[in-house]
Amino acid sequence: MENLALVAAGIVFGLGALGAGIGNGLIFSRTIEGIARQPELRGTLQTTAFIGVGLVEALPIIGLVLAFILMGRA
Amino acid sequence: MDHLAPVIEIGGIPFDLAAIAMILITSVIVFVIARLAVRNLSVENPGKMQNFLEWLVEFVQGIIGTAMDYRKGRIYLTLGLALIMYIFIGNMLGLPLGIVTEVSASHPTIFGQELVVPAGGHHEGVLHVAWWKSPTADAMSTMALALTVIVLSHVQGLRVNRRHYLKHYLQPWWFFLPINIIEQLSKPLTLGLRLFGNIYAGEVMIAVILGMGVAGIPFLMVWQGFSIFVGTIQAFVFTMLTMVYIAQNTVHEEDH
Repeated sequence: MENLALVAAGIVFGLGALGAGIGNGLIFSRTIEGIARQPELRGTLQTTAFIGVGLVEALPIIGLVLAFILMGRA
Repeated sequence: MDHLAPVIEIGGIPFDLAAIAMILITSVIVFVIARLAVRNLSVENPGKMQNFLEWLVEFVQGIIGTAMDYRKGRIYLTLGLALIMYIFIGNMLGLPLGIVTEVSASHPTIFGQELVVPAGGHHEGVLHVAWWKSPTADAMSTMALALTVIVLSHVQGLRVNRRHYLKHYLQPWWFFLPINIIEQLSKPLTLGLRLFGNIYAGEVMIAVILGMGVAGIPFLMVWQGFSIFVGTIQAFVFTMLTMVYIAQNTVHEEDH
């Protein structure tokens, strides 16, 4: 267990990926539901969904950068 | 393979030469594209570049329109246009190529100046210095963009909407003040780091896939496509969030 930095990198990125996956899944499930209810709003809903993805994935990607820093330090 | 950035220290301040050069290159490219698009303007017979720029202007007008009333938001049109063009081209520039030079590890110098090498890890033989990257892959330049835009939103809030802007720190109750302050502090942080993280992680992944050799070529194709998608989305999200933050600070909502 000398290299705790590598374990930390794994944990950081793993939890971040979990958060990104769940967040994106929630966003797109509601988007699909909305498109199913009102097909003419498809363009607007898709655009809003991608804005949501850009926001939700911010913190997991910051976690990814942190994981790279930790890996480089190991 | 670990790529270093060519950081030199002048007067105690570290300067990243690759980031400075790439910011200049991106600015020149944006300027050239914009100037080429407005040559020979015509109403009946628009050329391709003019069509493209008109589409882009309408797109940014749509972004401003979703954030605030467009009659109030007209003054931010050039800001939105500059942001989206600069960030989009900046994100795309790091994808196609990379320029890496070698510097000896025992006495690393660039143009005669001592290269700042981050501590940790052992370096033997030669160090690899990467000269070509996205300007947005540098945390300092994205934080500069984010800080500029957030400071602008605060200044505009004070100029246009002073009483309401100062009052909204105490809403809905006065003891929400620390929460509101933390919210205002977190805005430039997340705005800048979101852009930086997306583009930097994309570039590191490109370096990792390149390390796989010939077997990585299909992965590289897929990853390049995904990076183009992410770069576009991040430019759009940055511009949209800029307009939303400016609208939050400047627009007086009558129902409070």
